[in-house]
Amino acid sequence: MFRQRPFRARQVKGAAVLGSVFLATACFPAVPVDPEGTLDTVRSGTLRAGVSPASDFVEIRDGEPQGAEAMLIEDFAEHAGAEIQWTIGGEEQLVKQLEAGQLDLVAGGITSKTPWSEKAGVTRPYRTATDAEGKEMKIVLLVPPGENAFLSEVEYFLDQTQEMP
Amino acid sequence: MKNAAGTHLPPEQRELMARAARLELISIGYTALTITLVALVVGNSQAMRTAWIEDMLSVLPQLAFLASLQFTRKARRYSHPYGYHRSMGAGHLVAGVALLVVGAMLAYESVSALVKLEHPTIGTMNLFGHTVWQGWIMMAVMALIAAPAVVLGRLKIKIAQPLHNKLLYADSKMAKADWQTNAASIVGVAGIGIGLWWLDSTAALVIAAGILKDGWDSTRSATSDLLDRRSKGVDGTDPHPLIAAMEEQLQSLEWVRTAGLRVRELGQVQHTEAFIVPEAETVTLAQSEEARKALEGTDWKAYDVVVTIVPELPEFLKQD
Repeated sequence: MFRQRPFRARQVKGAAVLGSVFLATACFPAVPVDPEGTLDTVRSGTLRAGVSPASDFVEIRDGEPQGAEAMLIEDFAEHAGAEIQWTIGGEEQLVKQLEAGQLDLVAGGITSKTPWSEKAGVTRPYRTATDAEGKEMKIVLLVPPGENAFLSEVEYFLDQTQEMP
Repeated sequence: MKNAAGTHLPPEQRELMARAARLELISIGYTALTITLVALVVGNSQAMRTAWIEDMLSVLPQLAFLASLQFTRKARRYSHPYGYHRSMGAGHLVAGVALLVVGAMLAYESVSALVKLEHPTIGTMNLFGHTVWQGWIMMAVMALIAAPAVVLGRLKIKIAQPLHNKLLYADSKMAKADWQTNAASIVGVAGIGIGLWWLDSTAALVIAAGILKDGWDSTRSATSDLLDRRSKGVDGTDPHPLIAAMEEQLQSLEWVRTAGLRVRELGQVQHTEAFIVPEAETVTLAQSEEARKALEGTDWKAYDVVVTIVPELPEFLKQD
């Protein structure tokens, strides 16, 4: 069946399409690219982090975020070479700000089953915890939707530093 | 009238039919494999998801073919005097409508993602301790699984033509075009990779349009066959070349002044009614049988031939 000419021609065309795609991607040194450039703005100075109080993960003492996830965000900011600009609020408000491009990273004991995955980018789970009923839950962070370079950088950092279940 | 005509295919066609069934089984097995593989990496890309659903849909005509095959094998009987050949047509219609509906849904999803400016999020995977962008893996999988479907399609189309099986023909054409779906999904994911978020939904829209076209073609062709349209070749030759061949057979008989044929498709066989205007006032039983046997001998597809002696040809058999 490979002997027939038209098939050959189409195969070649198909290979050319695929080849040019890979070539095109190879021309962009850092794939994936952020459509809105989140990773670049973070690296150039400021990480706008949003936290929502959640027991153990995020606590607010004297207006300052504390707890495991606040510390995690501080570590990431150091890794990225950025200063943190904190926003404290409810999840819905924080997610809206993520969508609007006003925040870069959101934490607050959010699990991998979060309904916000429709609106925001969700990292891979980086640790587990048990909920009130003793069921295991997987904890994630939220990033702006479609900012894939930034998401990849956060996940790279988590891969390097966390247990990653 | 011998029951065998068409119900039981001649040995060569029976062999082809068995091969077609084997190829369809292989196709289904292969598709099950690709569906599983893609499920592992599908992620948030609209194009990938559309291609994935298209993979699942591609099983429909294959299942319809295998199911219909069980029916066409049945011999005709008192309650089903035409036999069960039409089951191929019914299967063709069901598969066509399913493709249309799902194609429309997928097209709507892609357009609405574009309108809502949804930016697809694709993160990383941890591959042996390395953080790898999932888009690379998606593109690699789609490139890897593209070829075998095309090869299966080429093999099937070679069988579909001699079998005059439109369901199989539609299925092979879909399989032959399958690499375009994979290429489109790769373009979509690559678009996400270089920050062109809209390229993903646009690629998904292209794939959905392909599904819609397959659905439309199948639905139209199956419906017109079920409406007893004049028989056409699988590749669209109209009228079917067999009709002219059979008319010639009749014209060559000495006692025939003129003749017309009404031929409709019952799945892969042709239900044939011959209208003959004789030279003389009287026609013998032997002459009428001679005509019938001449027609049935033309091709295995000539099935259930009925001969009618008429004073003049009916209007509808004359060309406009």
